[in-house]
Amino acid sequence: MLAQRKTGFFNKFYLVEIIKGLMITMRNMLFAKRATIQFPEERRDYSEKFRGQHYIKSVNGVENCTACMLCPTVCPAECIHIVAGEREDKEKYPIKFEIDSLRCCFCGMCEEACPKDAIKLSNIYEMSQQNRTVYEKEFLLEQRGNK
Amino acid sequence: MPKCTIDGKEVEFKPGENLITVAKRAGVEIPVFCYHPGLSVVAQCRMCYVEIEKMPKLQTACSTNAAEGMVVKTQSDPVVKGRAGTMEFLLLNHPLDCPICDKAGECDLQDNSFGHGSANMRHTEERRTYVDVDMGPVIEKNMNRCIHCTRCIRFGEEVAGIHEMVAIQRGNNIDITTIDGNPLQTEYAGNYADICPTGSLTLRDFRFRKRAWMLKKTSTICEGCSKGCNMEIQHEGNVIYRCVPRENLEINKYWMCDEGRMNYHYTQDEKRILNPRSGATFIGWEDAIQTLKDQINEKPLTVLVGSDLTQQELENILEYTKNYHKGSSVYHFGTEGVFTSAQDLPVDKILKMKSKTSNLNGAEKLGIKSVQEMKSASDVVLVFAGGRANVQSVTKKLEGKKLIGIGVYSLNEAESFSMVLPSLSFTEKDGTIFNHQGIEQKLKRAIQPKNTIKAISEILMLTANKKVKVGAN
Repeated sequence: MLAQRKTGFFNKFYLVEIIKGLMITMRNMLFAKRATIQFPEERRDYSEKFRGQHYIKSVNGVENCTACMLCPTVCPAECIHIVAGEREDKEKYPIKFEIDSLRCCFCGMCEEACPKDAIKLSNIYEMSQQNRTVYEKEFLLEQRGNK
Repeated sequence: MPKCTIDGKEVEFKPGENLITVAKRAGVEIPVFCYHPGLSVVAQCRMCYVEIEKMPKLQTACSTNAAEGMVVKTQSDPVVKGRAGTMEFLLLNHPLDCPICDKAGECDLQDNSFGHGSANMRHTEERRTYVDVDMGPVIEKNMNRCIHCTRCIRFGEEVAGIHEMVAIQRGNNIDITTIDGNPLQTEYAGNYADICPTGSLTLRDFRFRKRAWMLKKTSTICEGCSKGCNMEIQHEGNVIYRCVPRENLEINKYWMCDEGRMNYHYTQDEKRILNPRSGATFIGWEDAIQTLKDQINEKPLTVLVGSDLTQQELENILEYTKNYHKGSSVYHFGTEGVFTSAQDLPVDKILKMKSKTSNLNGAEKLGIKSVQEMKSASDVVLVFAGGRANVQSVTKKLEGKKLIGIGVYSLNEAESFSMVLPSLSFTEKDGTIFNHQGIEQKLKRAIQPKNTIKAISEILMLTANKKVKVGAN
């Protein structure tokens, strides 16, 4: 059986309840800690493990990558395209290393598969672009984020 | 037949068969490095250890012939320990540069190490390194990866018939190299890369182009000569990366020549004509077919067919000429100097044949006469070629005539033709060919042809139609 609501002339206006509710609103508005931040000026701290924009580690301007193709093999989104070449000292290196950033699902499998610790995901998360973006090798070779 | 027991399974065998062959029939895989069914047995790598009852020590399966009542164990504790020990020794000096090694993915050392070796390494000493010699244009050498199985040395001596690779020095300093460091001489050098169980000898042509596991494989026949070697085209994304031989004990055994191995290059050459070409300009298909119709116009024609076409294509051409150009004469051409299969003799004692086209035998089976018997030709001559037949040998003979080429032509060849209609190469079509022994074999389509080229049957059908209408491809 349903509980009978209190009836009466005064209770019809719900004044007490409105005041109670407004007090909660005012308390949160004026005194509670804010959930949002002023984004470009303020930034959140992300974990070191955060998987953001890619970069290729390099030593003295030479990429660590040896174009072993393990990252395109393991990539579930098939967004990495590598063309391997031979340097003058017979070393294997990537002539072309492209990541289709819109296809990428930031799973971090490439990072895990890489035997040379070359491809990394930084903690940069501002990657919005106005056109479809393919990250070229030159772009990826700039050292960004957590190194 | 006598019987022996391998891992509890009774297997019949022919006397003289070694344990690896017998075990394979029982479904038991014994890991090997130096053993190759096409080469002699040396029992050098010590990987194929098995335990045989009543024998005090582990035996190498490759050098032990099966005997009546023999009880063999391939998975017992001493065997597993022995293999792990062998693997550890082989990997002492191996650089473990699998990420940049072209063999990775199809490497015996990788597979056996994964299957039978240990994940940890105990030795901490510096690894042995070598300076590599130049092995010529086919093979790239990396001696650091070598495990001294001597397959390459035995291949040269026993199959290629040239003693060019040798093992010099002894013990830890052993070096597998060519005599005096000369480049390889043999025309079968590509097989060195195939039989090498590590990445020590790799193909220069395939160097760093693709990883082995990414390639799709299509079993087909080499069209380099009338031998008809069985091969596998390995391709990815509609690009062919390499060709490797397939085992066929009746024809090519396990081998293949370099000419056949590199033959696929012309099919994806920049100079290959991929659009209908009239004079020196490229035209659309409808114009091309219309011009062709106007020029041949139901007259009797001289038709030349390359003996590199498949049986089905030859039949189509014969049927077309019989129905639409009554009184035409059809001749086959291919290699200069080889006009009949009687003239098609082996070049060496290994694989190569004189006829550089694959289907000379098949063309003769269809009753097509040789171009040698051609006395006179019509004003317009149709020349069908599959890319491998020597077109220049024919164009020299027919100077002054109007030549229309249908098939696979390069820009250089097309200069002497008034019109060229591009057609499929051997990598892009299915079909049947007869090799010099008369064995019927099937070509298989490996890659999708460009949409601007048409099969010979389609070109003939369009030409035979009254109204020229070329549908979208």
